[in-house]
Amino acid sequence: MVALVIILTVVVLLLTVLVAGLLRSHADILKALHDLGAGVGDPSQEPINLETHNHSHDQERNQRRARNRDRNANGGPISSPIPFTMGSPLPGERNSTSAPTIAGVTPTGDALAIAVSGNDHLTLIAFLSSGCATCAGFWEAFQAPEHLGLPDGIRLVVVTKGPEMEIAGEVQAKAHSRLQVVMSTDAWGDYEVPGSPFFVLVDGSAGRRIGEGVANHFSQVAELVRRAQVDMQAFGVGTRREGGSRSRAFAGGLDGPARESANDQELRAAGILPGDPSLYPSSFEDVFPSDIDVLPPYPEGAGTNPPAQRSTPERRAG
Amino acid sequence: MATLQAHGIHAQLPNSFEGRIFVRPRVADEITYPVAHFATFPLPNQVGDFGSGAVTLMGPSDIFAVLFEYGPESVGTRLFARQGMPRSLGIDDFRPNLLRRGIGGQSGTQWFFTESERPFTFYAVLGSHARRAALVPHVNGLLSNLSLSPQPLAAAPGTVAWN
Repeated sequence: MVALVIILTVVVLLLTVLVAGLLRSHADILKALHDLGAGVGDPSQEPINLETHNHSHDQERNQRRARNRDRNANGGPISSPIPFTMGSPLPGERNSTSAPTIAGVTPTGDALAIAVSGNDHLTLIAFLSSGCATCAGFWEAFQAPEHLGLPDGIRLVVVTKGPEMEIAGEVQAKAHSRLQVVMSTDAWGDYEVPGSPFFVLVDGSAGRRIGEGVANHFSQVAELVRRAQVDMQAFGVGTRREGGSRSRAFAGGLDGPARESANDQELRAAGILPGDPSLYPSSFEDVFPSDIDVLPPYPEGAGTNPPAQRSTPERRAG
Repeated sequence: MATLQAHGIHAQLPNSFEGRIFVRPRVADEITYPVAHFATFPLPNQVGDFGSGAVTLMGPSDIFAVLFEYGPESVGTRLFARQGMPRSLGIDDFRPNLLRRGIGGQSGTQWFFTESERPFTFYAVLGSHARRAALVPHVNGLLSNLSLSPQPLAAAPGTVAWN
């Protein structure tokens, strides 16, 4: 009996030592994983006081930095920050609508720079690549620029990535001799192109982008360009129609508080002050009054009169 | 300010200027040399060395300029005795009778020189002789941002290479 008790006591002591060793080993593993960035919380830290969470968070961060310094000095694990970049920032003088000159090389190796600002025409920039399947249709359509259906006076420029990312021979094989093609990776960054195909429409007189987006067929692009041209005529964008601008804010490319301020100024100049009933339409008739016809008189003998085009409050105000 | 560089010609383009630096493809046994075109209006794809096909498109506020290189046999001749490109031109340097192709209202200037052991001519056209006082500073702005290397670059940008 005495022998049995002694044996059981020894076994219990051995198991106690074994469990204590396992717990110690587990704690070391958790600590090592925490130093590598895995897991939540630090077993060597005091519990976080919810009332002073922000302060204790800073203290915890400082203590962790100090601990890392000590470990590095002792030859322990080294924690180093992982570099993380969001892409090169645009130069300070640019914004999301600016239209810098496109400079690069041609597929034959010549240097070419195309200024899209500082002139009085629209430029359609097609960002294409030689390999993408969707771009193939556009390359084919550009073989006959006269059949593209673009409004008159639109300059078409194709921009691929530079020769370090495109094979110039492939681009040359796809480009028509009358088509202006610039190979420039920088231009893709300047115009924040997300992928190909991508189209940007630039108003040269205002020196800014007035439209951008993607399309599957060039007819869709041509339609968007045509609409943009109509909008420009309606709102007098740029300096093309001096004195015809209905919105200086829109024409000047203003945004944010500057645009709001400019619009307020225009409304005041038109006699529309804060609280004016026209600012709070309550019915469809308030927005599109039926008694205003902005179309010219219909010629006599031309059959029934066409439906009247209704003016908008903005047109009345301007 | 966009940068244009090829065939030993380097240009920092002032605002509103666009440009092209190229070597015309050879025909038969001829030897062709680099040509640079600069303009404040859209340059057509096909333009003659000295602007034919482009100067007729100019408006009164436009500028067209050419930097044209000659063969090395011209180095040391009297025509190219001037050393260095002109960097600042005056309004009296532009005259209607200096145009290679006389177009009413326009005026031009032409300079022959040697720089970096390369013989060049610089030819510029103003869209309006009457507005030369306002336009010549823009020509000078372009000239001050042009530079020539002693030898054309060994590998022109755009040379096909394996990725």
